[in-house]
Amino acid sequence: MLSDLLYRLRALFRGKEMDAEVDEELRYHLEREAEKYRRSGISGEDAGRRARVALGGRTQVLQQSRDSRGTKFIEDLLQDLRYAVRSFAKTPVLTALIVLSLAIGIGANTAIFSVTSTLLLKPLPYPHPDRLAILWLRSPGIGIPQDWPSPGQYHDIATQNNVFADTALAIGDSFTLTERTKALKVDGIEATSTLLPMLGAKAMLGRIFLPEEDEPGKPQTVVLTYGFWKREFAGDPNIVGRAITLDGKPHTVVGVLSASFRLNHEVIPTVAGIDKPEIFMPPDDGAKNPTNYGSENYNIVARLKPGVTMQQAQADISVIAARLRVEKHRDRSFTISVVPLMEQVVGNVRTAVLILFGAVALVLLIACTNVANLLLSRATARMREIAIRTALGAGRGRMVRQLLTESILLSLMGAVAGLGITELSILIARRMHPGNIPRLDELGIDFRVLGFTFAIAILTGILFGLAPALRASQVELTGNLKAGGKGALSGGLSLRHDRLRGVLVIAELAISLPLLVGAGLLVRSFVRLANVPPGFNPGNVVSMRVGAYGPEFKDATARVQFYQELAERVGHLPGVTGTGAISALPLTSAVGWGGMNVEGCVPPANEPELQVDMRAATPTYFGALQIPLISGRMFAETDTAKMPPVVIIDKKMADRFWPHGDAIGKRVRQGDKSPWMTIVGVVGSVKQYGLDVNSRMVVYFPHTQATFGTMYVVARTTTDPASTTRAMIHAVNTLNPSVPVYDVATMEQRVQDSMARQRFAMTMLGGFAAFAMILAAIGIYGVMSFLVTQGTADIAIRVALGAGRGSILSLVFRQGMRLAMLGIVAGLIGAFGLTRLMNSLLFGVKATDPLTFASITALLLFVALFACLVPAGRAVRVDPMTALRME
Amino acid sequence: MAEERLELPQGTLDLLILKALALEPMHGWAVSERLQQVSREALQVTQGSLYPALHRLERRGWVKAQWATSENNRRARYYSLTAAGLKQLAKETAAWRKLAAAVGHVLDMA
Repeated sequence: MLSDLLYRLRALFRGKEMDAEVDEELRYHLEREAEKYRRSGISGEDAGRRARVALGGRTQVLQQSRDSRGTKFIEDLLQDLRYAVRSFAKTPVLTALIVLSLAIGIGANTAIFSVTSTLLLKPLPYPHPDRLAILWLRSPGIGIPQDWPSPGQYHDIATQNNVFADTALAIGDSFTLTERTKALKVDGIEATSTLLPMLGAKAMLGRIFLPEEDEPGKPQTVVLTYGFWKREFAGDPNIVGRAITLDGKPHTVVGVLSASFRLNHEVIPTVAGIDKPEIFMPPDDGAKNPTNYGSENYNIVARLKPGVTMQQAQADISVIAARLRVEKHRDRSFTISVVPLMEQVVGNVRTAVLILFGAVALVLLIACTNVANLLLSRATARMREIAIRTALGAGRGRMVRQLLTESILLSLMGAVAGLGITELSILIARRMHPGNIPRLDELGIDFRVLGFTFAIAILTGILFGLAPALRASQVELTGNLKAGGKGALSGGLSLRHDRLRGVLVIAELAISLPLLVGAGLLVRSFVRLANVPPGFNPGNVVSMRVGAYGPEFKDATARVQFYQELAERVGHLPGVTGTGAISALPLTSAVGWGGMNVEGCVPPANEPELQVDMRAATPTYFGALQIPLISGRMFAETDTAKMPPVVIIDKKMADRFWPHGDAIGKRVRQGDKSPWMTIVGVVGSVKQYGLDVNSRMVVYFPHTQATFGTMYVVARTTTDPASTTRAMIHAVNTLNPSVPVYDVATMEQRVQDSMARQRFAMTMLGGFAAFAMILAAIGIYGVMSFLVTQGTADIAIRVALGAGRGSILSLVFRQGMRLAMLGIVAGLIGAFGLTRLMNSLLFGVKATDPLTFASITALLLFVALFACLVPAGRAVRVDPMTALRME
Repeated sequence: MAEERLELPQGTLDLLILKALALEPMHGWAVSERLQQVSREALQVTQGSLYPALHRLERRGWVKAQWATSENNRRARYYSLTAAGLKQLAKETAAWRKLAAAVGHVLDMA
């Protein structure tokens, strides 16, 4: 086998040498044969002739010998390639056009494929990731689609399940690292010792946590991530055993994780909304208490036993959930769902990515169609050449093979250029930083992506090359040679003889229409979304999260005093017209909710208590964000901790319980034993979780009576927001250097960021659709130009016979518009079917929105008309005398 | 006499070449001469088809070739059987014998 390959390789690269050898061999043979004849008495010349006859044709033998070397296929290929390159060099503009179309088509496909591959195909960077799951509480019946579990539930699940090999309980939080030059906010996760091994984390220095550290009464320890250790401790090799101060308490560093370990909020969304944990600690005291059912702030991560499916795991956990539902009096819709970790990470973008992938595949299809059309024009021009080659004995299969070699070479060139476009798109995608698109940092061109590019290049080469190749190889010899290469298929101004071109143009329009409609729907959705009033005025408001949770803020009055002093200082900064603080700012990851009783309102039996969002606000917060007061009053300085408790509710809650506008003076309370709190005001509802998400009912507490340590501080300014931001951070630092500031952004940025994914989808699909439309326009233009050129004589005769300009114009337009209409009708049918798939991406617009459909149809018709304009103009300018003389 | 010669069945040329080369290394012309002689001029071996066949056998690794000085003191390309070629010869000989016997048997029955 190997010797065979070596022989073929030698034959391939040293073919000439081998030919010479065969030649010499045959010469020797002839001499000996002639000698034989001479010895038997035949004269010299006659002997030579006889020898040659006995051997047969020398060139034939040489050719057969070459064939037997097994290199014919490759030699033909090389010949075809050389020929292809020569013919490309003869038509550089056309070739560049084709390569460019393919580069964009293939490049865009590769870019989207690399996204798809990274997001949906590449496994998560953990051992046996398909067996990892995260558990969520769900109570859709009372408006809680997803909630964090509690340590009590964890304990039940960990001890009663039959499906998990291991379970872990975790809670995310922010800590203050002090006894350094400046206080630093550090995000961390406190988890049972099972979490890190479950995620395959290994200690590079020291160790990870021991099972006994899950028990109460152990010394405070901490494990650092590699990046944090490098950044904050300059990679100190002697860090293990040292103590660092977190929230005022010493914690001994017991280990540093290896650099390859990755974990972020996409994998484990913690209740604190931390982005990326930088430190790990043993479970907090709340987690160690198996009867702690109240604190639903934890994450449960589990590893399935080998061979157990997610469905089996869900069934097993549902049994435990059903028991909890009865024992803990949960609502009827209460369930605990087992979500595959992969689903957790990519679940909410899967549809969007698959739709983009579909869209970009359609673009490639249009690019192929267009290139096929361009190649058809070229094939027409080459008919004479092909006719000559056929006349000289080239078989049809051989001709098709040569033309396909050309088209595949073109698409490979397109693919190479396309990879450049892919690199560029990935760069742009990173720059755009579309929020909520997970795993973006893993994006890149790998072997899987390269393989994909190569495969679609070959495929497109065959796809767009086959029709023109088959057509071109079907030449009618005599007709073509006689017509001097102009083509015997000339059908004047009609496509009668050239249906293939018509069909290609119709297909281009039919494919681009659904894309345009899809993009149009996304644009309409986006406009709708951007026009949703957020319930506050985001203009010129800066905001930041401030963490007054260190040891010196143990006392509630210290926290209240800190924010009062901060408000005083920020309020006096130049340009600041209003400032305030809130525990959970709209459009941030901060959350807070709980049960609430309304006086005089008894929930029906078997129904759980009412769940509302709960936030603590300072008196000036509503004014600073311009959240309107609907009735009653705002909080006042007089609502102190010693005064009777008061609350403000939002309009949604007021409308639900007091639709006649009489909420003021009514009372609510948390749980059965807490004191009643009087409603003193009703404010407008705000979009807390996103412009496209219905907010929930809200109860606001005065910060003096609900003394949160971590607050968002906002300030409305008339000067440059950046300088106000700097001044505010400076104010916090001078007030107390151990208080960290983070999550700094203007409210306008937060609004924009909340629409990032929609904007990303809209931009991408819009770009693809625009490209598709341009390609389709080029397609119509190409065919109409071709028709006018081909029908010049036809037009000349008509003009000579007295046809007016108008009739010539209408002739051209009728042809073009007929194609356009057919394409649009086919496209509309496709669009009605396809846009339904993108329902989940739309906001405030139906998938069959008539306005979008109508305007896109009008747009395409206009584009088609425009594309016919230049060819029509040329048709009108045909000079009958010149044209007819040319014939 | 020419009309009495037999056309070689497809594929048997390779077998005959291998058999010829099993005796000793020889060049193309000598192979052609030997086949004529040994078959007592009964087999029609087109000289032209001999060379592509030799090259095909060389590609398969059954024969190897090298240039050497011939008996009349000229440069000629000598072919010799390789170990793989020897094995192939045995295999094809056995197959041929079996086939010939089977065909003969059928013909006798009829």
